Amino acid sequence: MPYFGSEETVKELKRALANPHVQADRLRYKNYITKVIRYMTQGLDVSALFMDMVKASATVDIVQKKLVYLYMCTYASDKPDLALLAINTLRKDCADPNPMVRGLALRNMCNFRMPGMPEYIEQPIVAGLRDKASYVRRVAVLGCAKLHNLQPYTDMDGSIVNELYALLRDPDPVVVVNCLRALEEILKDEGGVVINKPIAHHLLNRMKDLDSWAQSEVLTFLLRYRPRSDDELFDILSLLDAFLQSAHAHVSVSTLRLFLHLAAAHPAVQADALLHTSAPLLATCGSASRELRFAGLCHVQQVMRSQPGLFGTHYKRFFCGYSEPSYIKFRKMEILVELVNDENVAVVLEELRSYCTDVSPELAQAAIAAIGRIARTYSEKCLDILTGLLALKQDHITSAVIQTFRDLVWFCPQSTAAVCQTVEACVDNPQDSEGKQALLWLLGEHGEQISSAPYVVEGYIDGLKTELSSAVKMELLSASVKMFLCRPAETQDMLGRLLHYCIEEESNMCVRDRALLYYRLLQRGVEETRKAVTGPKSDPSMSVLTGRQEEPISLWASAFNTLGPLSGRDLCLQTVIISASAQPSSSAEEELLPGSKDVTLSCPNDTEEEISLSLGPPLSHETFEKMWLDLEILHRQTLGFPRPKAAADTLQAALQLVKIQTLAFTPGDTVPWKAYLYTRGTGTLILAELLQEDPEAPGTEGSLVVSVKQQPANQHTIRGFVAIIKSVFQTLNFDRL
Amino acid sequence: MIGGLFIYNHKGEVLISRVYRDDIGRNAVDAFRVNVIHARQQVRSPVTNIARTSFFHVKRSNIWLAAVTKQNVNAAMVFEFLYKMCDVMTAYFGKISEENIKNNFVLIYELLDEILDFGYPQNSETGALKTFITQQGIKSQTKEEQSQITSQVTGQIGWRREGIKYRRNELFLDVLESVNLLMSPQGQVLSAHVSGRVVMKSYLSGMPECKFGMNDKIVIDKQGKGGTTDDTAKSGKQSIAIDDCTFHQCVRLSKFDSERSISFIPPDGEYELMRYRTTKDIILPFRVIPLVREVGRTKLEVKVVIKSNFKPSLLAQKIEVRIPTPLNTSGVQVICMKGKAKYKASENAIVWKIKRMAGMKESQISAEIELLPTNDKKKWARPPISMNFEVPFAPSGLKVRYLKVFEPKLNYSDHDVIKWVRYIGRSGIYETRC
Repeated sequence: MPYFGSEETVKELKRALANPHVQADRLRYKNYITKVIRYMTQGLDVSALFMDMVKASATVDIVQKKLVYLYMCTYASDKPDLALLAINTLRKDCADPNPMVRGLALRNMCNFRMPGMPEYIEQPIVAGLRDKASYVRRVAVLGCAKLHNLQPYTDMDGSIVNELYALLRDPDPVVVVNCLRALEEILKDEGGVVINKPIAHHLLNRMKDLDSWAQSEVLTFLLRYRPRSDDELFDILSLLDAFLQSAHAHVSVSTLRLFLHLAAAHPAVQADALLHTSAPLLATCGSASRELRFAGLCHVQQVMRSQPGLFGTHYKRFFCGYSEPSYIKFRKMEILVELVNDENVAVVLEELRSYCTDVSPELAQAAIAAIGRIARTYSEKCLDILTGLLALKQDHITSAVIQTFRDLVWFCPQSTAAVCQTVEACVDNPQDSEGKQALLWLLGEHGEQISSAPYVVEGYIDGLKTELSSAVKMELLSASVKMFLCRPAETQDMLGRLLHYCIEEESNMCVRDRALLYYRLLQRGVEETRKAVTGPKSDPSMSVLTGRQEEPISLWASAFNTLGPLSGRDLCLQTVIISASAQPSSSAEEELLPGSKDVTLSCPNDTEEEISLSLGPPLSHETFEKMWLDLEILHRQTLGFPRPKAAADTLQAALQLVKIQTLAFTPGDTVPWKAYLYTRGTGTLILAELLQEDPEAPGTEGSLVVSVKQQPANQHTIRGFVAIIKSVFQTLNFDRL
Repeated sequence: MIGGLFIYNHKGEVLISRVYRDDIGRNAVDAFRVNVIHARQQVRSPVTNIARTSFFHVKRSNIWLAAVTKQNVNAAMVFEFLYKMCDVMTAYFGKISEENIKNNFVLIYELLDEILDFGYPQNSETGALKTFITQQGIKSQTKEEQSQITSQVTGQIGWRREGIKYRRNELFLDVLESVNLLMSPQGQVLSAHVSGRVVMKSYLSGMPECKFGMNDKIVIDKQGKGGTTDDTAKSGKQSIAIDDCTFHQCVRLSKFDSERSISFIPPDGEYELMRYRTTKDIILPFRVIPLVREVGRTKLEVKVVIKSNFKPSLLAQKIEVRIPTPLNTSGVQVICMKGKAKYKASENAIVWKIKRMAGMKESQISAEIELLPTNDKKKWARPPISMNFEVPFAPSGLKVRYLKVFEPKLNYSDHDVIKWVRYIGRSGIYETRC
């Protein structure tokens, strides 16, 4: 540690500790030892005093002993030879009549992290396991784990494991739990401690004796147990029922997790357990300590993924307090958005509006985004509020509102007219780059509805030299080109200036390339450009798919009550903005890329119109299966070649490249071979099955057959989809040749 | 499983550091300081992940307590453990402050040694800990004391030792409630709840069996079924609906679930018997009526009326009303009928204090706030008016109906026990928007 004068200090301490006068005065001696520990805590290297500290361990004063042991545990690995000197004292203490002293000595001896230690501690540990005081047994049991940690895989392990399994029947509850913990660590490589029927039942019966920490851990261990029959399962569940409403949040949540896990095959039981736990969960959300409140909120969010209605009536509990930290407020807002329904929408919106003027700009923006999410269902009320916010004339609010508008227009086209009117009337423009991009996108996409659009864009073009963000410049290029297509007369001149500047003077390569791309595209003629640049203006199917969708409990149950729900989506509302903003531009990009190919490569078959596929949110197996059974086959086609011999994951990766998701396929070369795929394109969801019959069977010629189902039906997309599938397999087959 | 525990002061200096497992290196102490305590922006989450290590922190006044782990642990458990640790420390040396921690650091190391072993919680009941870690450290013990420890350490009931004797059997029950309110400027209750605790101090001999009864709606309704309808109507008014409640480990939960009776063998000394929440029919002790008028750009007129809404014979104490003022306030004139009011520029608020106030009374304050003209377009966010007080009743309406003590082995009966009951209602977050 680079501590000024640290050497001096250590020398001084050494002198004092070695001084016989100090040693004679117990109080002064102890004071010096305390001082050493204090320096150690601050990070000063006091390992040079090891010898003197070892001497101090030979005392009757237990507090002093503890301090010296703490010191030795910290530095033993640095000075193993000197630490051995202390072993004798410790071993003597292990035979002390006082159980406290025995336990203390054993615990500290096991804590020394240095080689050569195991041979000294084995014998005291084994003796400790049979000690009559439970205090010593507790220490000894964990000592086994520490021993294993120091020296894994000794021949001792076998006998110790047996002894620990036997100790699971110990009368002291802490010993029992410590045994589980130790076994878990020792048997880590074999999958941890085995929970068989007798052990599971024994633990279940001891549950009420355990303290809350132990209860929580035992419940986690019980996740490993699979009941043999439904009767046994329900017996276990009824035993655990009381713990669902435990005083301690972590116990009730652990119990819930176990319930969900055990009753995976009984959705009614799961739902009932969730209902029972809702009260303790809500209580945690209102608990006095903010950290627990946070943990509670995160878990409520998890539960709501499957049961959005469970907390509907309690929405007022999720109103933010003025003094709450922002991490809690963010979570609460996310929950509020999910809880909105016809009855409470007015109250919730009123509440969210009051957050929009919060002192913290981040929070205010998140609140605005939250209103935007609600607007997808209740657009009118929300638009009023958002428009009202623009009147406040605050930069961060204006920017967030414009971004929200952009997402809103993309998700629900019916609000376009109202948004355009508002944007038209809005006098001051956003100042940050996110907001500028959003405004430009709106102007470009809906320029024909906003009469002042070209003049606003012109303002940006004039200020181009002072613009720093390349993303804004790119968005400006796209917007200007789109605007040119719908209002050529007003835009032609400024577009020329813009392209000239970007190609000749711009130093950022991305911006320059984008400008060149548009330039070349325009050279091909206006109609070509229009085909490439204009895409769909909105995607209403998105809002249905991203909206509330009840997920199966199994999706989140495995990560429930771990760190998972707390981390991950740190500031969810903001990621929503970002992902949504990424979508329009990427779709524009997609529309653009095939067009650019047109220019340079001139696509071989013009009859095959381009369709754009996208992955969208993942479909679960259950949903896929349900839809597959519900829908009818719209199209079946023999592809005329066998399935590629490429490895399964190559195939999957190849399909992923063209935005087709593989859900499942038959492994290896089994016949018949099947694969299930899905994708989304131009507002529809496409499900497909690939089938290869036995090549020897008559009439099939070993060719692949593709069957397509779609919702809603759109023949054009199906044709495009089949063409893509074909080209993928051709490429793969070609690669094999 | 907890890999290490660190305590820092507000500057980020390490006061206590205890590492339990090898996977936590010594640099973890610095990682937390650099990434969280010294971070520029606000705390993003109470859980911070740095280099695959999770840091859970809790702040008490200006002390940071952090638990470190590399495992994927149960977050709620770690937080509750940290609170428990705070409780234990408070029980030993009072408030958790930098000075107290520095003065007791030997004791804290002793406690940390007992509470956790190899990162696993071992013994966290203050009562049990106090028998073997005394404030002064353990001195040579008599035979009797030693056997006491052994029985403590091996006993089935973790929270009480055998052979306790008192000359006078006495118990104290405190019903402590904190009432929380968020009210709109128009006087509409946006959210209100009471979170209460029943704290018991028991000085009882032997292993007494106790039974606690209160005016819980479910119990009263159940009993009311047998009686006349008149009875139910009468008692129904006085009973309260408890939203959720949690109990100390000693209460037999199975009995509570089946009969809703609260029976237990209490720990010796002070402990928290139960915690509960109610949201219905809350008696709001005070009503705050704000009136804010903006007179031009440089003046604000604020008038706040508070009305006490409880029996005239009762007295509320320590009343404090905090009226926030804009940041650009240049001067304030205050007139109040009762108590003392002062403008505190450093806190941006007018603080109005009243020592005592009886029920069904009314008092008001009016203030003229002069503002500096600014060109800042930002509108003042108008934080809510908050209030603090203490009243001698339970705002939830909870009443203790009985607390019976049975000790069959020793010869004292329920009548011999001296019992005291006290109700205190305090304000939690009691805010009215203006």
